[in-house]
Amino acid sequence: MDKLIFIDYHKCVGCATCEMVCSMVHEDICSPALSRIRVVRYPTEAFNVPITCAFCESPPCVSVCPSGAITKNADSGDVAINPALCIGCRQCVQACPFGHANFSLDRGTAFKCDLCGGSPQCVEFCWTEALQYVPLDRALGGKRDAAARNILKSG
Amino acid sequence: MNDYPGKILEVNLSTRSISSRKVEPELIKKYLGGIGLCARILYDEIPSGADPLGEDNVLVFAAGTLVGTPFPTASRTEASAKSPLTGQFGTSNSGAFFGIQLKTAGYDALVIKGKAAEPAYLVINDDEAKILNAGFLWGKECWETVDILEQKHYGAEIALIGPAGENLVRFASIENGRYDGWGRTGLGAVMGSKNLKAVAVKGSRGRNIYDTAAMLEAVKKGQQLIKSASSYMAFTEYGTLNASIPYGKFKATSAHNFTKGTLPDWKDIGGRPIVDKYGSRHVACQSCIIACGHWAEIKEGKYAGLRIKDLEITPVMSFGATVGLDTEAIIKASEICQRYGVDMVSAGGVLGFAIELYKKGILTDEDVGFELDFGDDEAAFKLLHQVINREGIGNILAEGTKRAAEQFEQADRYAIHVKGMEIPFIDPRGRWSTWTLGMLTNIRGGDHLRCRNPVENLRYNDKDEAYMKERFGFKKPMYDRLDMPEELKSKAIDLENDTVDIPEMSKWAEDLINLYNAVGICIRPPVMEKVGPTIIAEACRAFIGIDINAADLMESSERTWNLIKLFNLREGEAVDASKFPRRFYEEDIDGNRLDEAKIQAVLEKYYQARGWDRKTGRPEANTLDRLKLDDLDN
Repeated sequence: MDKLIFIDYHKCVGCATCEMVCSMVHEDICSPALSRIRVVRYPTEAFNVPITCAFCESPPCVSVCPSGAITKNADSGDVAINPALCIGCRQCVQACPFGHANFSLDRGTAFKCDLCGGSPQCVEFCWTEALQYVPLDRALGGKRDAAARNILKSG
Repeated sequence: MNDYPGKILEVNLSTRSISSRKVEPELIKKYLGGIGLCARILYDEIPSGADPLGEDNVLVFAAGTLVGTPFPTASRTEASAKSPLTGQFGTSNSGAFFGIQLKTAGYDALVIKGKAAEPAYLVINDDEAKILNAGFLWGKECWETVDILEQKHYGAEIALIGPAGENLVRFASIENGRYDGWGRTGLGAVMGSKNLKAVAVKGSRGRNIYDTAAMLEAVKKGQQLIKSASSYMAFTEYGTLNASIPYGKFKATSAHNFTKGTLPDWKDIGGRPIVDKYGSRHVACQSCIIACGHWAEIKEGKYAGLRIKDLEITPVMSFGATVGLDTEAIIKASEICQRYGVDMVSAGGVLGFAIELYKKGILTDEDVGFELDFGDDEAAFKLLHQVINREGIGNILAEGTKRAAEQFEQADRYAIHVKGMEIPFIDPRGRWSTWTLGMLTNIRGGDHLRCRNPVENLRYNDKDEAYMKERFGFKKPMYDRLDMPEELKSKAIDLENDTVDIPEMSKWAEDLINLYNAVGICIRPPVMEKVGPTIIAEACRAFIGIDINAADLMESSERTWNLIKLFNLREGEAVDASKFPRRFYEEDIDGNRLDEAKIQAVLEKYYQARGWDRKTGRPEANTLDRLKLDDLDN
């Protein structure tokens, strides 16, 4: 996939606006527990780590799914759950190395990030730019530039 | 709106009974949430004359209407009870993440009554609430208590008291997690008197959105408004410390218990440079797009290793100016207040008062046991711990400045409070403004957080001899953008003469801030400048489907303000209670002192604007009619 949600952990201030917006657009409800993206806060370090789907190239959730409900689109790279096929076994929840794949007790099916169909709203509402939806090259380019500037300064 | 999903959870610690009830849509329409709910519950349920530290007092936590949404800064929860410090309506507002957990657990408010027989704490997990034994936590400081409870109750947010609350220090705070708190009016002592160490709350649900597309639109608009505020960039960078330099320049700080106006090197002690030196990261409350909190670290010296979320104007002024401490000691003082659970403003006020009494010879070595001086951090902290533990002279000071002053002859003139509450850093002799009038009219006593000109311009300090006006200081576009009814705006701001009418603006500012405290948004200047009742109404309509407009919201806020005034009058507020300490009328700072007669004239105008009778202090009958406050029992 050419674009990814790139997370600059040092910019995140932990406001969790992303969680609220995510649960709103997917569930018409404001609930951190139903958000696809989650912010893990470390208050005694003033550090916050947003966690969302990594869209793995070899997704454990896809391999483990016994009903074929989770598939990876080879062209777009998207990893999606078809709720009609989901049997609610929670194997994907257990297999996801990031604790990202989640489960709705109300619906009895698993859920995960769907990139809002190509326009992720968590990114749209992230005011710190800790979340960016950009091509890999541009995301890394920003980091490379910052590192290079440091080298330039010290040189 | 025919139905409203929020509930009120009521816990009686005496009978150990726990129940919940639905919030009637009519109650939301009239009082919104937050301080509105607190005011109505306190008015209805605390018997007149109740002992603030007795079983009859009722402690309420109420999250604002918009808390639980991404509306910018919607994080705030009001806590209220009858104040042990002032004997009046006690109330305080705090952000962080307690409110979101309360809301997602299904509750708009938590009402705590009675008194537990043994130390207890409350755990709320959605529908399940339990009173548990807190014997193992009693006596522990706050950070350790939070560590323990976070381990036991994963994901919960914790409101708690420290040793000061347990010891009934009359200005004890309720801490909100490690670094935030409901500081003012001594609510921590109320929790202590109920033998309640902590409330741990976790929610796993959420609130349905009435109209998701409209809500996202309101959120986006709210974010754009705040980002376009003239003070936005300065606040994301330096937070509240932006105000400490101008106040130093105006000689309007609380330096050395309000005797000096400012201090040499104030800029380095209390201003932006300390963020550059000690600050490392910005920290936000839920849904905030300002993140004014600063993570501070001290790397060397005697306080090396201290790490804390706090580089804020309140501790900087209370400990830097009032007590005269240097920056690293200010950060240490913040830590002590947070870990042991005392209000920073009152703590600084009490220390400043004690140091001045000592220097005047009213307090002796025999009384204190060691020397006191402004700027001496070790002595100040030793005394502060005595206050927290109610040891020695600390036992008298733990009663607050007003009561402590009654114990010593001639001490009254050094007691800096309004209506029994220690006033914060703003010396009205150095700068008279809407902000300072608000310290007199504040429904919780001497405090700066319930009234401020939403477009206060800190570049100017023009003196108006009649005390009626302050300089506006902005051009027409700022005037045009201000979200205020046109008729009122033209009364409150005179664009031609570049002035603000203080009594008119005070009423508007109080109602606006009170509205923020009802819907749960923050009073930081970028919000006040841009977020008016129009966008708030838009968000409320989209979120809960309530049929409400900007004027309705302002009326609701005014209703709550009047209800709190009625509570205070019922609890014996004197008609002439709105007075600054004697010192402000009798001693000069930089050639300035206050003129009592002129202040009375300003108050007269303020009472007119409010529709209150100056002679009795009461809201007039037609004011109560207009605000539909005709359903009160007494």
